[in-house]
Amino acid sequence: MGSPVARFNGLKSNVPPPTYNRSAVDPAAARGRAWRSGVVEYRDYYKTLGVPREATIDEIKKAYRKLARKYHPDVSKEADAETRMREVNEAYAVLSDTEKRTAYDQLGRGYQPGQEFRPPPDWDAGFEFSGPGVSGAEAADFSDFFAELFGRMGGGGRGGAFHMRGEDHHAKILLDIEDAYTGAVREIALRVPHINPQGHVALDTRTLNVRIPKGIHGGQIIRLAGQGAPGMGEAKPGDLLLEVQFRPHARYRVDGRDLHVVLPVAPWEAALGAVVPVEVPDGQLQVRIPAGAQSGRVLRVRGRGIPGEPPGNLLLEIRVVLPEATNPKAKELYETMARELAFDPRRSS
Amino acid sequence: MRDEEILTGLVLEGRCFTLEELCAACALEPDWLLRHIEEGLFPAPEGARSEWRFSAIGLARARRMHRFERDFEAVPELAALVADLLEEMDALRARLRTVGLE
Repeated sequence: MGSPVARFNGLKSNVPPPTYNRSAVDPAAARGRAWRSGVVEYRDYYKTLGVPREATIDEIKKAYRKLARKYHPDVSKEADAETRMREVNEAYAVLSDTEKRTAYDQLGRGYQPGQEFRPPPDWDAGFEFSGPGVSGAEAADFSDFFAELFGRMGGGGRGGAFHMRGEDHHAKILLDIEDAYTGAVREIALRVPHINPQGHVALDTRTLNVRIPKGIHGGQIIRLAGQGAPGMGEAKPGDLLLEVQFRPHARYRVDGRDLHVVLPVAPWEAALGAVVPVEVPDGQLQVRIPAGAQSGRVLRVRGRGIPGEPPGNLLLEIRVVLPEATNPKAKELYETMARELAFDPRRSS
Repeated sequence: MRDEEILTGLVLEGRCFTLEELCAACALEPDWLLRHIEEGLFPAPEGARSEWRFSAIGLARARRMHRFERDFEAVPELAALVADLLEEMDALRARLRTVGLE
């Protein structure tokens, strides 16, 4: 071990190992949306896009792009951007397609948002549809109202013999750095959109308890099988992919698997060398400060970063903190040093 | 709505997605991704196609590019350009977090 590498004399963990309520779970059976074929709630796509019923295709396109700019999840700061974008996409998929728009206008005449809607049997007999216009995967993200009206155009509605695996859902999970050292079980709340009786989109909160394995770090993905969108027909639900991020921490910063910590030391500890205690997420280390350490010098403790194969390193940035000269004794000590050390920090060595 | 069970997931790290898995996770047709790789708009993984593996960054890029093309009717080159800029912003934000400034 070279001189910049601190040695630690022992480890005293003060964090108990995590305990889990182990229970078997069938994720596919644990959730899933019961879909009642035939009766759905009416959606006002014109209202969603904020255009009159007689809007031209150019006006619809303009309104859509304006809303896409506002709610696009890659750029939007709105809290419910993803949900709103899904609604806007669904409305645009119908109103930008002449065939779908005509069918929607004819069938939906007189309905109010949120009102129960049941399309008449064989309502599509009088229309000639050239195709679904949206992919099956996109349509899977749209409402039951959309599926009831247009699902059959692609070869079957959700209530028919059509089977398609549910879409994978994506979300971020914010963890504490300590979770990576000890493992944990964390509760995450996912917002699930639904249409309320007034026809507005409301958000339910779906809570999941997720086991966080020791050694997790930023940029990894936790795949939860069966926790994505429900499948159509008898097909399986999609998965939920959780992108791992750490919450900002007052003391710790993470870079990959390495943990950075600022280590305040007294001038005599830096000058003479010392063994000092350092709090780390899974306990306390005793770290040897080499004599002559200066502020900004980084001590690397191998293998004491985030656990893993291989584990990361703990990087301790030395910060020399001066005691204040607020009493006669301190002043006298500083004056003695000034008189006897012949030290000029501005002179290059 | 509340699930009391504790869910255990599979941790994915590094280049962990095949082309088919990436496309399934993003609800994309494989042809879409292949076309973008051929046109140089999406970084091609090393090796033969059967050995291609994509990372979580590739997953995010595919989702973004596809959304820009779909939602703004962006040409693929523009979608790739915006994805490039967002990736750079992500990297800069990550550096800010590393030095404790965000």
